[in-house]
Amino acid sequence: MVYFDNAATSWPKPEAVGVATSDYFRESGGNPGRSGHRMSVAAARIVEHAREAVAGLFHASDPSRIVFTHNATHALNLALMGLLHPGDHVVTSSIEHNSVMRPLRYLETLGIEVTVVPCTPEGILDPKDVRNAMRPRTRLLVTTHASNVAGTLIPVAALAVLARDHDIRYLVDASQTVGAIPIDVEELGIDLLAFTGHKGLLGPTGTGGLYIREGVTLTPLIRGGTGSDSANEIQPEFLPDACESGTLNAAGIAGLGAAAHFLSQIGVDAVRAHERKLVEQFQSGASEISGIRLYGPTDAALQCGLVSFNVAGAISSEIGLILDESFGIMARTGLHCAPAAHRTLGTFPTGTVRFSFGWFNTSAEVETSLEALRQISVWASNSIGRSARGNL
Amino acid sequence: MDGLISFFASHYAIRAEMVLTRHGLASRLVPGPKDLSPNCGVALRFEYAQRESVLGILAAKKVQIDSVHFYRPQTDRWSGREG
Repeated sequence: MVYFDNAATSWPKPEAVGVATSDYFRESGGNPGRSGHRMSVAAARIVEHAREAVAGLFHASDPSRIVFTHNATHALNLALMGLLHPGDHVVTSSIEHNSVMRPLRYLETLGIEVTVVPCTPEGILDPKDVRNAMRPRTRLLVTTHASNVAGTLIPVAALAVLARDHDIRYLVDASQTVGAIPIDVEELGIDLLAFTGHKGLLGPTGTGGLYIREGVTLTPLIRGGTGSDSANEIQPEFLPDACESGTLNAAGIAGLGAAAHFLSQIGVDAVRAHERKLVEQFQSGASEISGIRLYGPTDAALQCGLVSFNVAGAISSEIGLILDESFGIMARTGLHCAPAAHRTLGTFPTGTVRFSFGWFNTSAEVETSLEALRQISVWASNSIGRSARGNL
Repeated sequence: MDGLISFFASHYAIRAEMVLTRHGLASRLVPGPKDLSPNCGVALRFEYAQRESVLGILAAKKVQIDSVHFYRPQTDRWSGREG
């Protein structure tokens, strides 16, 4: 079996992830930070070690500036709802995932203005276009770090400078990149960075978080018990507690900590180099198969570890089914929760096939997938004109 | 140990223990004494004589603290076999 759906969730996980999760249930087991007894303290230690390990992966020097959330979508909602007010203007790109687009479209109904800056059909965003979209009331720039559809990397360094020059906040959706593409939030001066634990970070689902630069204040998305300032009925204002009400996903965070430790041992640079090699191999092989159309920059240096394509004569969902049933290759097809990105690429509404690589994928697996696509492309070219739909 | 630091959140108490351990300074997490601070469930005992280095390291690592006390809790007199 070949698993090429790491952009949906990574698989397999490092062995230590399952062990740490299991150990939490069997040995630590307490509610992190709520009580002073040894099991609660042990659970709190696990959470704080995880927080520190995750912070280290994107070079946040103060782990207190990381709040844990259920996933990146939760983190993005926290940032957007916590920062924007009616009358504010926000700038984003045309390749955003619905985890950014849907909150923004909702905020529009509350009187927040949204400008979507178009990317090229390869998903490339020009910082000059972003600068031209700025208005006096612009309060926030929000972009992905890499498109989950085309893999295109967004020039976050240039955009961070632009945001600073305009004295606005910059929120980066790093769902596809944390753990897989090096990023230094402090060197770049990124204000907010949303991440998920279960993709490039190699941790369990139900984990994620938000980095909040010192000096940036957010209104919490939810309020409640934090185990701190318990005599007070008003939500505390200090991080991470201000934005971490309710019991954390301690078992998941235990696994996340183990995953972050695993990645820090390998080094994010090594992960990047490995995935880049697989992308190059795939692009080089696929470009020689007639009928395959690659989307995105088709340059591994300009994209993260995923590729999007179609095969002439077949629709993406059919290709996905054949890849799974006949070749044991797991891919994601369709719109990838990102209709705006597919409109940008010109692949709306039929979508694309996406292969997303991870640390555990191999060159041999890429070769297996290329051979499968050679066979599928022959089949698809023979079936052109014979489709029951009559429109292919 | 005759010193105690209270915190606004257990996050900072655990961070404090982590960074002090790395600097070779002894400390011990205990339930926060409610007579000293209602703020957080967990407090950190330390050697009061090491106060300056302990507070210096915590400040350098941005570990926020509530207050510092000279403190010998009543439980020090608990023999474990009373009654």
